Amino acid sequence: MAFIEAQSLSKTYTRHNAPKSGGISRLWRREIQQIQALTDASFSIERGELVGLIGPNGAGKSTTVKLLTGILTPTGGECRVNGRTPWENRREHVRHLGAVFGQRTQLWWDVPIRDSFLLLRDIYDIDHAVWQKRLDALVEALELGEFLNAPLRQLSLGQRMRAELCGSLLHAPELLFLDEPTIGLDAVSKLKLRAFLKEENRRNGTTILLTTHDMEDMLALCSRVMVLGRGRLLYDGALDALLRQYDTVHTLRVVFEEAPEIAALPAHVTRDGDAYVLTYEPAKMPTSELLPQVLSAGRVREMTLKEQNVDELIARMYKEMAL
Amino acid sequence: MKYMTHAVKMLFKSAMQYRASLLMQVIAQFVMTGGELLAVTVLLTRFKAVGHWGAAEILFFFGVMQSTFALTELFGRGITSFPWFVQRGEFDALILRPRPLLVQVMFSQLDPRRLGSFLVGMIAVLTAAAQLELQWTLLKGLLLAEVVLGSMLLLTGLFMIEATVSFFSVKSIEMVNVLTYGGRTACQYPVDVYPGVLRVLFTYVAPFAMCMHWPVSAVIGQPMMALPMWAYFLTPLAGAAFFALMVRIWYIGVRHYRSTGT
Repeated sequence: MAFIEAQSLSKTYTRHNAPKSGGISRLWRREIQQIQALTDASFSIERGELVGLIGPNGAGKSTTVKLLTGILTPTGGECRVNGRTPWENRREHVRHLGAVFGQRTQLWWDVPIRDSFLLLRDIYDIDHAVWQKRLDALVEALELGEFLNAPLRQLSLGQRMRAELCGSLLHAPELLFLDEPTIGLDAVSKLKLRAFLKEENRRNGTTILLTTHDMEDMLALCSRVMVLGRGRLLYDGALDALLRQYDTVHTLRVVFEEAPEIAALPAHVTRDGDAYVLTYEPAKMPTSELLPQVLSAGRVREMTLKEQNVDELIARMYKEMAL
Repeated sequence: MKYMTHAVKMLFKSAMQYRASLLMQVIAQFVMTGGELLAVTVLLTRFKAVGHWGAAEILFFFGVMQSTFALTELFGRGITSFPWFVQRGEFDALILRPRPLLVQVMFSQLDPRRLGSFLVGMIAVLTAAAQLELQWTLLKGLLLAEVVLGSMLLLTGLFMIEATVSFFSVKSIEMVNVLTYGGRTACQYPVDVYPGVLRVLFTYVAPFAMCMHWPVSAVIGQPMMALPMWAYFLTPLAGAAFFALMVRIWYIGVRHYRSTGT
């Protein structure tokens, strides 16, 4: 049995809205609206996987995370995380779980972050020596040394995110949930954070599930993605394959030494200054077949191949999936 | 236990981060509650007695209620501010920690400003005790401590009504405050000064009489009920029972929250 096993997981919310008309009875009458936040999602995740959860806002990402963490109980379906049903044995389940939810802090605002970590030691009943060793390792990896005695409120966004991560990993969880871990971080901090997460996953075998809108995060971290849209699991598999599927048009920009013989080239050609811009579909015309033809068309001075930007790809994918 | 004491220590440490501000707020609370004390004192010099109670006795009841309420607000901040806590979505974070939810809520916040009100209450109690020439014994001290604990549980239980409502409705319903703040104001006087309906309400529904008035009346040597001394040690348990009941109901709210995720 896989580490995480979900079987037709569904969640319906009931929303009570005040009716728009109806005079005085509006005060107590409510219209009931059923919202399908998640429909029939089945998936399994192996221990040690690094999985990205993507989808537009309102796709069901946070509902999925809330079900897996046990914050919510589902309206239908089954789920097991390491053999435990998340929403049934809450305390046992969350003992092995870490979570960092984007902007929301889990540490204490006004005390030095070391004090927060000490309290977490007692919340999770960690032996002091084990805790100390783990803390030292995390502090070094996350470069938190100089901030240990500073209260959380004095830290920058990047430092705070690192402190949150440290707090969520002190009890060495089997499973880590990250919601938008790199939001608002500068480029250097992002790179460091990604490197840290990869290392944590590699060294401790921590299974990591992250939601993000940052495709760079996805490319750097996740070999596998699950795409959610309107409460349904639309794609579950390798990120590469997903990108290839939507990466249908490539652009080759070529500058020739002299006027080339381009009429025979199997691509759509336009001019851009002294460059020729060739657009083609790699599915029909593999780059490896196109290139020799371009090279034989004339002496090439310079050449750049452009793939579609990942954000554009995802936007196209959402559009084609009618999200 | 280690976790709870640690959490309280840390909350005090947090509060101490803003020492000047805290001091000002303690003083403000002291002045506000002191104002109430003055108002009561003025009334008592004018009327000398309320029902069959003399001025000093009334002052004693007033002081017990003020200090108990202040302690409840001091340590029960997690409960009293729970509706905002839920609205900000911070309750989710507690669900993700391996500790009983209610314990976490209770130890999530403190309100040390209330030390100001607590002091006023203590001043009232000590002044009244001196006026009554009360002979303190260990037994009386213990009973009074039990009164404070039982009443704190009762008040916390009352605050939990609103906390529970907040699971079902985003808008907090002011009406439920009738029993907490209303209870404090009404029950700073012993229940037997009130007409029947209120007396029943504050004896059997929100049992302030059992938790506070009966045993306190025994402490000051004017027992309201013809009960042996040991029986006064039992009646404050009504507060514990009330609290236990509210805990059950609060957990129903938790179940609702986890199935709807408001």
